Amino acid sequence: MAEAPDEQLMLAYRGGDGGAFETLYARHRARLFRFVLRSIVSRASAEELYQEIWMRVIEARATYKPTARFTTWLYTIAHNRMVDHWRRARLPTVPLETDDIPAGNPGPQQHMEAREALSRFAVALESLPAPQREAFLLHEEGGLTVAEIAAATGSGEEAAKSRLRYALAKLKAAVDDG
Amino acid sequence: MADERDPKVSQRYRELGSEEPSRELDQAILSAAHRAADKPHAPLVTPAGRHRWYFSLGAAAVIVLAVAVTYHMQQEAPDPDSVAIPAAPEEQRVDAAEDAPKPSTKPAPTFAPDPKPRAREPARELARKPAAPAAGPAPEARMQRDAAPAESRVERQGQIPPQQEPITPAPAGRADSSEVKGLMSDSMRYEPPERWLERIVQLRKEGKHEEADKLLAEFRRRYPDYRLSEAMLGKVERR
Repeated sequence: MAEAPDEQLMLAYRGGDGGAFETLYARHRARLFRFVLRSIVSRASAEELYQEIWMRVIEARATYKPTARFTTWLYTIAHNRMVDHWRRARLPTVPLETDDIPAGNPGPQQHMEAREALSRFAVALESLPAPQREAFLLHEEGGLTVAEIAAATGSGEEAAKSRLRYALAKLKAAVDDG
Repeated sequence: MADERDPKVSQRYRELGSEEPSRELDQAILSAAHRAADKPHAPLVTPAGRHRWYFSLGAAAVIVLAVAVTYHMQQEAPDPDSVAIPAAPEEQRVDAAEDAPKPSTKPAPTFAPDPKPRAREPARELARKPAAPAAGPAPEARMQRDAAPAESRVERQGQIPPQQEPITPAPAGRADSSEVKGLMSDSMRYEPPERWLERIVQLRKEGKHEEADKLLAEFRRRYPDYRLSEAMLGKVERR
């Protein structure tokens, strides 16, 4: 069972196999947690949101259908939970047209001089607009393709591809500057 | 898209650390997952909850409605004693009347007036008025009018009166002859022809042939279409 694909494990859990869920959880817990933590920044909020995501997975087990990869389904739930979180926190969401960092926003370069290379990278990541950061984290932590990112975030493939490219370009710049 | 992954960016990202959820958080989620797995899935359409009482309520409503309709129909149905005409031939009924010590105790059939006293009062008033052929509705007309609902009730119920011949009472406006009036009680004006015949037979037995003749004449005037059997003729006509 430990070698079984995610989709099979989820189906087994839907059938009442609690052990299948444990295997599934062990596979995705760390990556999902980091995805949430680096999207939300606050650890307390991240833990709360992380738990909400898994509870939603548990609740939705009866309606789960393996039409897509389990990872895509899992991160779709995560995305929706985070959108709810941002709405609750009244954080502004950045539309695609303004995905690029605004001119007045302090860029990673302003922090570079006082921080270590890693810190500069963390700041660069934190400074990314939420959609770009989400696209990067889905790609890096979730291992999602552009099409899967688009599916998980409910956007078009072109938008997802653009977000990911912008994010990678900015992060690469932060790495190169260090 | 994997081609677009920059190794330097990925490496630097990994250097940020590998934060993980706390053990307490893991336990909480896994416990919730096991609790949910132990529960059987609820059926998509459950007859449980608030939907369950709809069935009993519906059944109770149907039963109450059926009882109410049945009771109402029983209340609406006319009294068979006052509507249905006995199927026995006239001779048998007359014989029975002869045998019976009190024929008046027998309920009046089809053409009996409304048993309610209030309905009878106007008829009495009309009968007490002096005979005036052209003035006001004659008792016969009233009788005809009173009889109509009873007949229609019979038709509604699908019962066919066992009368062999349709009885045509005297036309409206025809008054009783003054001689006969004394022989007729108020209630007799509305009696069916069989009761008239019983009365005539009774008068014959008592030797009151003149009265019987007058009553018979009045009877024939009222019911010209009533066909008397040979046996009955022998009883009501003077021999």
